[in-house]
Amino acid sequence: MSVPESYFDYPNRREGVDHDRFAFRSLRDAPPVQWSHGGKLALWVTLHLEHFPLNMPGKPLLPIGGFDRPGVSVWDYTERDYGNRVGIFRLMRLLDRHGITPTVAMNAAVAERCPPLMEAMLARGWEIAASGVDMGHLHHGETPPEEEARLAAESFATLRRLSGQAVTGWHSPAHSQSPRTADLVAAEGGQWIADWINDDMPYRFRTDAGALVQMPLSYDLSDRKVMQLQAQPAAIWSGQVEAARDLLLSETATYGGRILSLSLSPWVAGRPAKIATLDRLFSSLLSDSEVKPATGGTLAADWATQVPA
Amino acid sequence: MSLLPTKPGFMAGRTVPPEPGYYDYAPYMGRPKITWPEGKRLAFWVAPNIEFYELAPPASEARAVWYRPEPDVLNYAMRDYGNRVGFDRMADVMAAHGVRGSVSLNVAVCDHYPKIIERCCELGWELFSHGIYNTRYMYGMNEDEQRRVIRDARETILRVSGQRLDGWLSPAISNELETQDLLAEEGLLYTLDLFHDDQPMPVKTRSGKKFTSLPYMMDVNDVPVLNFQSISPQDYLQLIKDHFDQLYAEGEESGTVMCLPLHPYLIGQPHRLWILDQALDYICSHSGVWLVTGREIAQWFNDHHYGEMERWIAGLGQEGGK
Repeated sequence: MSVPESYFDYPNRREGVDHDRFAFRSLRDAPPVQWSHGGKLALWVTLHLEHFPLNMPGKPLLPIGGFDRPGVSVWDYTERDYGNRVGIFRLMRLLDRHGITPTVAMNAAVAERCPPLMEAMLARGWEIAASGVDMGHLHHGETPPEEEARLAAESFATLRRLSGQAVTGWHSPAHSQSPRTADLVAAEGGQWIADWINDDMPYRFRTDAGALVQMPLSYDLSDRKVMQLQAQPAAIWSGQVEAARDLLLSETATYGGRILSLSLSPWVAGRPAKIATLDRLFSSLLSDSEVKPATGGTLAADWATQVPA
Repeated sequence: MSLLPTKPGFMAGRTVPPEPGYYDYAPYMGRPKITWPEGKRLAFWVAPNIEFYELAPPASEARAVWYRPEPDVLNYAMRDYGNRVGFDRMADVMAAHGVRGSVSLNVAVCDHYPKIIERCCELGWELFSHGIYNTRYMYGMNEDEQRRVIRDARETILRVSGQRLDGWLSPAISNELETQDLLAEEGLLYTLDLFHDDQPMPVKTRSGKKFTSLPYMMDVNDVPVLNFQSISPQDYLQLIKDHFDQLYAEGEESGTVMCLPLHPYLIGQPHRLWILDQALDYICSHSGVWLVTGREIAQWFNDHHYGEMERWIAGLGQEGGK
């Protein structure tokens, strides 16, 4: 019994991280920033609009919310599709009432399949960010490079064509990247990504086609993680969001502006039983004059202007 | 997220004995009384796991390292959060309560992020070893290879902190059968790899050196509780309090230990830090609590109780073990 001698090679064991995408930085040493909307805590609502094809492969990576029932999972397919038909319009009404403009991280397939939804979102000035083509075509380490380049190009091109917006943000479906994803995003004219869940503030992310801003989209506090995966009641989830609000707001006194990221999927948060809780949560968050909504693109730009490369 | 299975073929041709052989049966009744300094009832210690998971680790024969095709950005970044954000938050809360940490340390962090180690030292925390990286396992290592890991850990911790390596939790709790023997031979005081007891216990190793098992307490560890179970933050706090209350009550009869093993990437999240604050607030409000480090518990047990406990167990007249 033994392990190969190479098991004792530690090629990256030196000061700093073990890759070349970004530098190590303790959050408390990050340069303080101020948000252009004037609030100390930015409420960044991100809606995930996704299309899960009935024949999604599910391998080698099952996205969160991917189908894991046996056979032809009509159950899963229709339950996800519900979000784009019903749930999203409930959330839309709620966000209208609270004056919140969200970022919409969407699969290109949803824009193509749901023109009335696209129209309603654009009429409200919601920010469209690219999130791949659909949930059956993920970006991961085994995605062939040519296929991935095609997927990234198609995602940006379709969403730009159908939204008329510049579309500068990217959220890789299922928070998954291949070693090339960020390079492709930058090459397509992307300016920010929201895939790495290792920080509460933006930081600079190196690519072969120039630097991106990596935005802190919260996964651990998402409706999908807490209410779907962990099956916690809405009140428990909203209590966690309020706890995060309290802590982040307390940090603004010392460390400058902070971001409270709310990552919502209409097939989870748009269900009837969640809406009243979400309504109360938005009222609670926005009752503090230091908490103001902002989109990902605005926050990325605010941050990048104040923290030079 | 679930636990990853053993790769096919890893154990082929190997014989595993029916018992690990590290201890004899010792009932939690009629034991020699453990007394802590100043009549304290419960020794409370916090073990922050300061870890480094490699983005591109070498393959292991024993298990898949990551959950997704590499790079597993989601899971790597989740853990990276602990070093960038969670650690400082956790350290602030602990310092506010006067609680020192005993760090379960992937010692490569000393090389990667020296500022984290400097802050641990400033706060008077103990550093013990949790291997080199949490993506390098002890699985399949022969004795020389395991010794290399232990010695690397000892030298690294000494170099950056001046501290002696006294404690051990195997990286990702990967063990080989001889690991405990080797730790004792290398002069360590205590191990956290054994989950058989709520009190410190002598560990039987082939050298017969004094070597102590301290309770690490997976029951209240934030990884199994928050990652593998669906539990609310309120229920987690209650779990910690209930766990403490019982051990504190039992501590009136004979000294008990409570370990709170935590991970900055989980407890340092903005929606969870309050759990740590309230847990420490509750525990520290009890006058019979001895706020202590792993090393200090092991040293006290070795100096005052090890021999008596060993003799008592031997007197129970049982077969088996080494």
